[in-house]
Amino acid sequence: MSISRRTLLKYGMQAGLLMAMPRPLLAQFGDGTPEALPPIQDPRVRALAERALEAARSAGASYSDVRLTHTRIREFHNPTVTSIADLEDMVVGVRVLVDGYWGFAASPVWSPDEMARLANEAVLHARISKQGTPREVDLASAPQVTGHWSMPVKIDPFEVSPFEIVDYLQSLRNFVIRWSDWGQGPNSCSFVVQEKAFANSEGSYCTQRTYRSEGNFVIQLQEKRRTVATGWLDALTPAGMGWELYKDQPLRELILKLMEEVKEHWKLPPKPVDVGRFPAVCDALTVSRMIDMTLGRATELDRALGYEANEGGTSYLNDPFNMIGKHEVGASQLTLRANRSEPGAVGTVQWDDEGVRPDEFTIVENGILRDFQTTRESAGWLNHARGNSLAHSHGCAHAPTALDAPLQHTPNLILEPGAEDLDFDSAIAGMESGVAIRGLNIDMDFQGLNGLGTTDRLYEIKNGKKVARIVGAGVLFRAPELWKGLRALGGRNSSRRYGTFAVKGAPAQRGYHSVTAPPAVFDQLTLIDVKRKA
Amino acid sequence: MSGVDPERLLTAAQCDELLRRVLSFARGGGQTMVRATSWWQGELRWGRNRVNLSSDRRDISLTIYRRIANGSLGIVVTNQLDDASLQFATAAAERKSRLDAEAGLGYGHFPKLPEYKPYTEGKIWSDATYDLTVEERAAAARSMIAPAEKKGLLSAGYLEVRGATMATLGDDFPELRSGPLAYWHMPFTRWTHAYCSTTVRDATGSGSGWAGLSSYDWNAIETAALGERALEKCLASRNPVAIEPGRYTVILEPQAVADLMEVLVPSLQQREPPEGGNPSPWRLGFDDALGLWRSKLGLKVVDERITIEHDPSDPRLGILMSPTELPGPVKWIENGVLTNLGHFFSTDIVKLEGRYRLRGPTGYRMSGGTTSIDEMIATTRRGLLVTRFSNIRLLDGESLLATGLTRDGLWLIENGKISKPVKNFRFTESPLFMLNSIDQLGESVRVFRPARGRGGSPTPAIVPPLKVRDFSFTSLVDAV
Repeated sequence: MSISRRTLLKYGMQAGLLMAMPRPLLAQFGDGTPEALPPIQDPRVRALAERALEAARSAGASYSDVRLTHTRIREFHNPTVTSIADLEDMVVGVRVLVDGYWGFAASPVWSPDEMARLANEAVLHARISKQGTPREVDLASAPQVTGHWSMPVKIDPFEVSPFEIVDYLQSLRNFVIRWSDWGQGPNSCSFVVQEKAFANSEGSYCTQRTYRSEGNFVIQLQEKRRTVATGWLDALTPAGMGWELYKDQPLRELILKLMEEVKEHWKLPPKPVDVGRFPAVCDALTVSRMIDMTLGRATELDRALGYEANEGGTSYLNDPFNMIGKHEVGASQLTLRANRSEPGAVGTVQWDDEGVRPDEFTIVENGILRDFQTTRESAGWLNHARGNSLAHSHGCAHAPTALDAPLQHTPNLILEPGAEDLDFDSAIAGMESGVAIRGLNIDMDFQGLNGLGTTDRLYEIKNGKKVARIVGAGVLFRAPELWKGLRALGGRNSSRRYGTFAVKGAPAQRGYHSVTAPPAVFDQLTLIDVKRKA
Repeated sequence: MSGVDPERLLTAAQCDELLRRVLSFARGGGQTMVRATSWWQGELRWGRNRVNLSSDRRDISLTIYRRIANGSLGIVVTNQLDDASLQFATAAAERKSRLDAEAGLGYGHFPKLPEYKPYTEGKIWSDATYDLTVEERAAAARSMIAPAEKKGLLSAGYLEVRGATMATLGDDFPELRSGPLAYWHMPFTRWTHAYCSTTVRDATGSGSGWAGLSSYDWNAIETAALGERALEKCLASRNPVAIEPGRYTVILEPQAVADLMEVLVPSLQQREPPEGGNPSPWRLGFDDALGLWRSKLGLKVVDERITIEHDPSDPRLGILMSPTELPGPVKWIENGVLTNLGHFFSTDIVKLEGRYRLRGPTGYRMSGGTTSIDEMIATTRRGLLVTRFSNIRLLDGESLLATGLTRDGLWLIENGKISKPVKNFRFTESPLFMLNSIDQLGESVRVFRPARGRGGSPTPAIVPPLKVRDFSFTSLVDAV
């Protein structure tokens, strides 16, 4: 349902009211009287956090940390104001370490008494877990931090009238459906703002305000009112941005370009799969998913050591301590870096969920495995194995809210582009015979080793041109051979950044990160008929 | 001190007070519904033979639905329960409702609503689950870790006990409920859920074994036995050899059957007769003479030894019922014949006229047979024994063709005996094919089904082991 101009005028006032909705929430400080929730930097929030640390210390914790998060989510599903969902929650989680065992307790109540209860509860859990069996946790040292950081967004989506957002989405829809051969598929977006206070027993205290914005926009090419092909706008994947994710991009131009692509796709003759191995050009989105699902997953140190075995699985890089610095994971042009500091990336923070300022680090350099993703505890494992204390956390600890205990999650990844000025189209133009792959959806096995990808947008290339679209194909690959068979990477200008998430742990939690990658050319990829049984 | 706080969940009285308080803030006519849920989870996770996190978490969620006359539906969710927060949230929901209001349309024509009696027979609460102490959780984990550690193996696992409560309340004018607000009060309901699973691997990563079980009742889960099974499977699966993909006779352990059935079971929730939209395996085709879509209801769709049903009073199953649901057993597939499909409800109120809703199976029991897995192996000349499947993805909604991986234990059977562990496979197969190629069935047992989300309700399943002909494995997967 669209909003009429009349309704807009009539209810413009209320739209103004809606902007600030649904605040304010309350918290209890000091004497326990409910008060309106102040900004996260308020010293009273710190006093709450200190109360938890103090209680944990006196209960016998050797280390403790506490997080308080206030999260707001606003979702728009197909543009009508009637479909806006508003969610808001305040939670607190206390994590303690007693004799090498972790205990954690979390609840929705911000009050001094609850801080103490949670700390005691967490200590009890840690103590009981011990049961006479020794466990060592050497947290890698981390400098004490203090301060406040607010993710720099241009337009705070919660300061924008929902009417404006609905109108904007509606205008994009009208832009598409005014052509009789185009229809609109899903058109939704969501915004998250989270304020978080973190304190630990080593004296660190920091507060942060972070944002996440994302959209899903699909167009449908129609013939006789039946959808024959669809196009997904890949410019709206999760980002550490505000409403400028929509406003600062030339979306209409991008939609026109997408329409051209979908039309070109549909005009190509369909062709069944020729099962076999072919040289392949992959677009940036495909390569970003490939690197994320293989080396991105496999270089999580807790996963490689078996801590995730009962959930997502382990890693094909199964001997991390001996592989670092020696193991060849790919061709010499493969260099993979990680950070949590890129402006606009969805994994970006100032401090991670252990109060560590994340550094930029190199996971793979010139095809050689250099490092694993770490937290303070897992950096300690590296130190233990090497008998020194040189490793520090790369700042990869993360939890969606204070209700979850932090786990190691994937940081932003950057696959270094190639030296030549190559892009997807020029790579196709330079190919005599092979396939071109766009937007591959990938299923990886539980070690990040064997993958199966599927996509509608898979093309046969002859003499530098797309000559057919291949229908019903699956792309089979094995991570080591895939990256050793990397022939060329696109140039700097062809790199694209995409936001994504990974689910990890038990209870399962989601971590968001961005992956930047250029298109790539591979010596050969295996094509199968994905629906063919044995 | 046991670490079990008796006041972890909202009580019936607290829910009632809370719901009435919110309703009192909703003034000026219109419709209001409030849902209060609370949940608590006690969790224990371990890796490399040591507990690496023991935790206790709880949260509350209050959803306010508000619609003024002529307005649309405004929804706000919060977890703060003080007067000011609730007043503000109620007002916010009302403002959203007002945003889309059109003058003069009123509520429209509303149908007569059938009355439903709340269903109270279900077995979904267990004190053993809710009162499981932190010590008992740790001891359970220990009973699974110790045998593995003794053998020099690495145990990882997770156990969780949870409790949740829910209640909804609306305003005094049921006659005004229509469309998306056509709800029925959910009386105060509480449920528990417990689950436990463990993976044992050898130090070099050449073998991996898994076992898991879930139930609303912690007492139904024998953790030591789970640890034992995962350990045995780990030892027996070490150093697997590669064999050729292809069609094999398979003996699917109950967990593997349930994993593949997850592709089929949700399709039974589809509206009947299926019209346009999503592909359905239960659509027969368009009947030109009658001008409507025909479904496969009444037709034989799988092996006649298969019956898929649920009974909300079955103490071994334990499913959470909503007030409008048929308060008795439902057979979805009976002796191989498709007998029921789920309805969409909000759009069907007029047609229903006092009939109950069929939501589709949220939990189910599948009929079994009397052949033990050992007998299945003994009668197999050449085949594979499958522990479980992982990473399943639907490829075709009409045939339910899916692909996925075997995981944590796959063995070659030759001449009636397990001859060696083999490397994992990717399969490309449909559960419909599986249920039409059955050789033998074993006794139906409960399997591992994690609940959905935080505080979410369980989706239990009771399924048999199956021996199935010509199961299709399409490629080798050398991950362990």
